Amino acid sequence: MSDLRSVQTDPSTLDRRKFLGVAGAGVAGGSLLTMLDARKAPAQVRGTTLRILQWSHFIPAYDAWYDKFAREWGDKNGVKVRVDHIPHLDIPARMAAEFAAGAGHDIIYNGSSILTRLYYKNLVDLTDVADQAGKKYGGWIPAARSLVEVEGRWFGLPIFYILAPMLYRKDLFDASNLKYPDTWELARVAARTLKPKGHPTGIALSQCADANLFWRSMFFSFGGTEADPSGDNPTLDSKELREFLRFAKAIFDEGMTPEVFSWDDASDNRYLASGIACWVHDAISAYRTTEDTNPPVFQSTFLGLEPQGLPGKRVSVAAPNVWMVWKFSKNQQAAKEWLAYLIDNDLEGMVQSRGYNMPYLNDRYKKPMPVIGTDPKLQILQDFPKIVAFYGYPGPSTTPIQEIVNTFIFPDMVTRVCRGKESIEESIKWGVGEYRRVYAKHKRA
Amino acid sequence: MAGPRTHRQKEIRRHLWIYGLITPYIIIAVFPIYWMAITAFKQDPDLYRMDVFPLWFHLAPTWKHFSYLFTNTNYGAWIINTMVIAAWVAVITLLAAVPAGYALARLRIPGAENLGIAIFMTYLVPAIILFLPLARVVSMLGLQDSWWALVLVYPTITIPFCTWLLMGFFKTVPVEMEEAARVDGCGYLGALVRVVLPVSVPGILTAVIFAFTLSMQDFLYGLAFVAPGDQKPVTVGVPTELIRGDVFFWGSLMAAALMVGLPVAILYNFFLDRFIQGITGGAGK
Amino acid sequence: MTLSSSSGGPDAAGARAAAISVASRARASGWFRSQTSRRLSFGYLLLAPAVLYVLLLVGAPFVFSLYLSLSDANVGDPVATFVGLGNFRAALESDVFYIALQNSIVFTVVGAIFKGLLGTTLAFLLLQPFWGRKFVRGLVVIPFTLPISISVLSWKWMYDSQFSVINWFLSRIGLIGSYGSPDWPVWLGQPHLALAACIIVNVWRTFPFSAIVLLAGFTSVPTEILDAARVDGTSFMQRFRFVVVPMIAPILLIGFLFDTVFTLSDLSIVYLLTQGGPANATKILPVLAYQVGIQAGALGRGAAISLFLFPLLMPLMILLLRNLRRREY
Repeated sequence: MSDLRSVQTDPSTLDRRKFLGVAGAGVAGGSLLTMLDARKAPAQVRGTTLRILQWSHFIPAYDAWYDKFAREWGDKNGVKVRVDHIPHLDIPARMAAEFAAGAGHDIIYNGSSILTRLYYKNLVDLTDVADQAGKKYGGWIPAARSLVEVEGRWFGLPIFYILAPMLYRKDLFDASNLKYPDTWELARVAARTLKPKGHPTGIALSQCADANLFWRSMFFSFGGTEADPSGDNPTLDSKELREFLRFAKAIFDEGMTPEVFSWDDASDNRYLASGIACWVHDAISAYRTTEDTNPPVFQSTFLGLEPQGLPGKRVSVAAPNVWMVWKFSKNQQAAKEWLAYLIDNDLEGMVQSRGYNMPYLNDRYKKPMPVIGTDPKLQILQDFPKIVAFYGYPGPSTTPIQEIVNTFIFPDMVTRVCRGKESIEESIKWGVGEYRRVYAKHKRA
Repeated sequence: MAGPRTHRQKEIRRHLWIYGLITPYIIIAVFPIYWMAITAFKQDPDLYRMDVFPLWFHLAPTWKHFSYLFTNTNYGAWIINTMVIAAWVAVITLLAAVPAGYALARLRIPGAENLGIAIFMTYLVPAIILFLPLARVVSMLGLQDSWWALVLVYPTITIPFCTWLLMGFFKTVPVEMEEAARVDGCGYLGALVRVVLPVSVPGILTAVIFAFTLSMQDFLYGLAFVAPGDQKPVTVGVPTELIRGDVFFWGSLMAAALMVGLPVAILYNFFLDRFIQGITGGAGK
Repeated sequence: MTLSSSSGGPDAAGARAAAISVASRARASGWFRSQTSRRLSFGYLLLAPAVLYVLLLVGAPFVFSLYLSLSDANVGDPVATFVGLGNFRAALESDVFYIALQNSIVFTVVGAIFKGLLGTTLAFLLLQPFWGRKFVRGLVVIPFTLPISISVLSWKWMYDSQFSVINWFLSRIGLIGSYGSPDWPVWLGQPHLALAACIIVNVWRTFPFSAIVLLAGFTSVPTEILDAARVDGTSFMQRFRFVVVPMIAPILLIGFLFDTVFTLSDLSIVYLLTQGGPANATKILPVLAYQVGIQAGALGRGAAISLFLFPLLMPLMILLLRNLRRREY
């Protein structure tokens, strides 16, 4: 990893102890340090502190493992590591505060809201770490780049994403001779058939992350796009949008109840776990919750690939997770070392997270993958990397897209359609207008 | 013989009326608390059932959610942090608000009115923006990621209100008492310390209670300034570590809320009489 | 964080208090001739801690946020250009802003009415002597003592579309149908109901406090005055209107102003219950400002949204507070 030691400045003090103390400021002439302390590499980071901000993962045990794993790495390399946890939804506020203060953590995590483009001027360029990992593990999956790349440089390091497959009740499908929901049309037919029997479906139509993610999956699978590949222009207004909204209205009317207007990210978990839902489209937390609370339903719950909208077209919008390093960090060297080490061990992360964490590197998809490769129901998750996408598809995570996501314009448009108080064209006019307004403001800025 | 009986009957009838009328209030206030309590003791599968009476147990009650708090989170530290923060905030608030309230109420300072209004105006400044420049201040003082940051910041919420509260209170202290003290050679400070403060204890207690409760209502400042798990106050620690992605740890969330809320409620009740006196300046009574 | 590096705040306050006492002792030894100047300098010394604290920690940042609202700053780029009232114009261009403004007003006004009604009636009841009064009083203040960020979650669970315990009761007593029937209320999913649900939580949390404030007010009115009024043959409502209300008006007003400002700027209830959904039915200004300014990073526009009510509220508050200060009580 010697190519990581690229930042060079003169140490301003000759006192060795003090020097070591600040060495992590990225202040290290590699050779001098190696001379001083040749016993263990990477020498630059010895005696420093590394502070990491991480989200509160679905699985508490994963957090415990991560904290321990980081500490052990720190002990080996003479770095004092501290990991703090807050919910992913609160990270933007925390990040804004740290930036305003010019102090805080060295490494900061982004989940769902990827703020690379807002902050890249203040983030450390991680292209070297990313290139090296890419070389080592068969390259990054295509979607990774869109999250973190600004002007050709990577200002963040994608570490994993959270998938949302179809979770369907095989017993209910079989009892009504229904085909498994491999297309959205089949999913609609199933919901239409099973709703009268007390088993509707549901996708959140409220202001929550699920609503942002899953309706987009459906829209993109129907051939829609949100922005052009450059990310500079919205492309919402299209024939595909109309088709998708007509379908959304139909699947809502025929297969869902008004409950979905009130849902938060946890509601569909309960919908499945309570044995009501015929299918839900959600992260595997729904599957795990069911396992813990309702074993009979769990037995008959199976997973499916993202359904096709147009024939052969599947796009699965996932919740991305990305690491970034602040420029104000006094320990960029250690931060990079740690991130490289973390990428080397992302399969272990997958194990510890019980299969939630999906890696971004091609070689990781050699079957069987840990956890999901050995569980017959979860195996299907191994086929997702080719179809995974993120907000702003097929463009990058731009700042207007962040605002659109955070003010829930897309699901609001679907909600307006499904409420049925206005025509599809009126809803489109509203949604497209909001997209334009947001894009215009960011252009002006 | 008839007299006392009718009196007693009347009393009973009056009580029945009052109980009847007040029961809805009690239900409104307490039902959510009861619901929290029962949720805190329920096993998870017992939560997701609508077919049975939801207000009682259908699986054995469990301590699991409580023990989870103490074994898997820093709940103990959060409680202590919260209490210590609240105590410091109360102290700082008193040190600033008692003199200010007294000066505004009694010393006929030119511009006092505008100054007092200006202090109250600070409430109009939205916290959602304020937290960014405050982050800068907190970090300049080296308090970032320590609960001391909150000790610094919360008085900005408590001082204005308590100043006005105490201002009203000091006005009710008879001027003659002070003047008498000053004639005895006490001076302004002496009059304040020896005469005004002793009769103002209820008002001061009120301010303390306020400082205490208000410092337990914040979420944003705590979130923005304090990240380390062992430094968080309970109001931040609980939601940040018991909501994981789309998984809510209902039982532990409720257990955590109860264990911090109920003791404060009891404490509150303990002081309520003095509080009631204090809030309108009952010193004259 | 070590103790030594972090005790700046309280120590500073202590130092200030010490300075006050030293200074006043110095004055006592005759530095100032005139009584007035002594009184005034003592007064300013007493005011200094509060004024400095608030000025430094709120005043200066406030100026900063004013500057933000007039610039195109975003969270990651502090070097911003002046855009005048552009951010306010941008807010007015978006229909979500009007919805949020309207919801904020409804939220505050309806909430205040119910807090007032429930608080007053409860205070009257608690004024009666009855057995177990203290216990009842203790029970009803609990909502106020729970940390709001957590008690809202309990309500979220009670409003659940599927497992709502409220609906379970309504359904059992036959007011609504069973789960899945069309009249099963989806508390956080129907636009008006969702806003009502948010207001209910706000009222639930604060009405005990209104009751206690009023109770305090009532108890503080000397019985002799009431008796005198009664002898004069006034009705109960007259006594209440002309004797009690004027006497407790100052504290009521302070409580009311305080609560109004808090309700207007409170993020937590709506943010935790609905984030402003469905389709902005419960969006209020602080939530919108937070989502635009912090989560989406458009700091300038967020600041403009959150400061929008400032020019309206400030004169109102000044008026009310002046009136209050002038009142002799």
